[in-house]
Amino acid sequence: MHKVNRTYVMGIVCLILSGWILWQANKIPEMLVSHEPGPRLFPIISAIGIAFFTVLSMIKDGPKEAKENTRPYLDKGGMKRLLQIFGVSVLFVLSMQFLGFWITSMAGTFGFVWLLKGDKKINITYAVVICVLLGSICYFGFTRGFNIPLPKGVLWEKLGIAVL
Amino acid sequence: MGTYFGSLLTVFQPMNLLLLYFCSLVGVVLGAIPGLSGGLGITLILPLTFALSSDLSFCMLLGMYVGGISGSFIAAVLVGIPGSAASIATCFDGYPMTQKGQASKALSIGITGSFIGTFISIIVATICSGAIADLALKLGPWEYFSLCFMAVSLVVGLSNGSLYKGMIGAFLGLWLSTIGIDMITNQMRFTFNNYNLFGGINVVCLLMGTFALQQVASSFASGEEEMPEVNARNLKGFGLKAKDFIDNAKTIIVSLLIGLWIGFLPGMGAGVSNMISYGQAKKMSKHPEKFGKGAEEGVWASEVANNAGIGGALIPMMSLGIPGDGTCVLLLSAMTIHGLQPGPMFITTNPHLSYLIFAAVLVSAVLVFVTSIYTKRWFPMLLKAPYHYLYSAILMICFLGAFSSTTSMFGVWMVIVFGAFGILMDYFKIPMSPLMLSYILGQQIENYFRMGCSYAKGDITRFVTRPISLVFLLIGIYGLLGPAVKHVVRNRRTEAKG
Repeated sequence: MHKVNRTYVMGIVCLILSGWILWQANKIPEMLVSHEPGPRLFPIISAIGIAFFTVLSMIKDGPKEAKENTRPYLDKGGMKRLLQIFGVSVLFVLSMQFLGFWITSMAGTFGFVWLLKGDKKINITYAVVICVLLGSICYFGFTRGFNIPLPKGVLWEKLGIAVL
Repeated sequence: MGTYFGSLLTVFQPMNLLLLYFCSLVGVVLGAIPGLSGGLGITLILPLTFALSSDLSFCMLLGMYVGGISGSFIAAVLVGIPGSAASIATCFDGYPMTQKGQASKALSIGITGSFIGTFISIIVATICSGAIADLALKLGPWEYFSLCFMAVSLVVGLSNGSLYKGMIGAFLGLWLSTIGIDMITNQMRFTFNNYNLFGGINVVCLLMGTFALQQVASSFASGEEEMPEVNARNLKGFGLKAKDFIDNAKTIIVSLLIGLWIGFLPGMGAGVSNMISYGQAKKMSKHPEKFGKGAEEGVWASEVANNAGIGGALIPMMSLGIPGDGTCVLLLSAMTIHGLQPGPMFITTNPHLSYLIFAAVLVSAVLVFVTSIYTKRWFPMLLKAPYHYLYSAILMICFLGAFSSTTSMFGVWMVIVFGAFGILMDYFKIPMSPLMLSYILGQQIENYFRMGCSYAKGDITRFVTRPISLVFLLIGIYGLLGPAVKHVVRNRRTEAKG
């Protein structure tokens, strides 16, 4: 299989990013206050810095990486696991928004445990108890103990159901 | 002195002491488990501290800091895998000692070495920070700009991998710090009229994503969560005699000084000090051939130095507002979250909290030492903690923390975005430490630069004509170019020999 040179990929991404930063920085209204260089300067310095060192990295690190026999970042299984964990995280956040934090913290944490256990066998009752306890302690600790409001769930609000 | 004792008494208030102790122990557990760290613990409890008083918050955060570094030797000694970069050198001789049936002694050296390092270094930090802060008050925006530049460039110069990628990370961090409303002209920068971005990128979301989510996701994806079997027998008793201290006194003192100095230099934390100290101990030893085969001096050197870095790293943080190591970056974030302004005025304007920070470290070091000595026999159990429960709890707390710090779902989504960003940085081998430091110091760098220009009526030569500013700039440039020049010279010498 053709090996991807990560430095070159990084180079393309960073050059596009620095171009975009420059473009956006030029849209910032220039309001100079008593001899100071203005709000555009540092975004422009950042963009030029990123572009300059990206080019240097592509020239110096790129060929070096091409010669080296570097291992792939993740194998197929690893990539699948990475997508899975981000997938479950996205579901967790969506559920937090629609079903609220309390339900999500219990069900979502169980989902994480189930995913992260891999091939290992776990005691489901024990896992459920841990997730319910952890979720409830966090939810009530924050909402009642520290008076920090947590999402109650858009769905319940729309249905007019009061959740704790 | 009176203020210090007042702060010490505050640490001894029941709730402060209880949570300091609890967080120190959690820090030890996190430090002991490879892949987790006290820094991760600080990230996770940061949102919790919003609702707490500054005194209690810093007791918790510092307990986690001390515990995290103190616990990192456990896995290094018992299974030969460092709990964090702070204990890499401990593996070299700690694990061979365990293999020879001296696990108890190796653990005792680790516990005592960590205690000596933290205890003495924090006393030095308490004495020195005030004096350095007084000196720093005489500096202007030109010197502060150069100082911040020096801090970032030292971190870039010493970060792993390519110097150019380190610089890319630093400029990315600088750009991230410009997002939000410009403090001087009130202009929007990169906000796209999204009010969630008006205040800039929330530091907790950035930390939760790039630190916690990225760590858990990459560890799970690469299947690194399995631990080897622990080979530990007869872990009872202290295992050290007065002779052990006398024989290793020179190593302890030298390692302490190395740890303090390296901790003081911005960006060079415990991860570097333990290696340098180990190398120095080997050079000084009468029996260098024993190193790597279970030499006690090796464990002393590494453990004293990494913990001495705590005091060393707190000196620039408290007196100049410049973090000495990665964990201090998190502590600085905590200060800003609590509405405090880190910098040379910090000790003068907040004497009680400043001394509380030093006192909390001191008390935490004593608590960790006493508890570790009595619970040493249970250390192998820490390494059997089921990762699927730990990681799941961490992920849930990440999202909880992001929401509580921003009170919007936008912050929670940002965690996922920054988690993916962290994975991308890892894939491209762009080091995160320059990015984080430059993000944390970015606003200060920009403000000091713009203030300097404004005060000098647009004359930017003031940055190089003021001697202290010039010295900082030159050190910064050396920090950047020094390692690269040395590398080129070494390569040429090797080629010439070859």
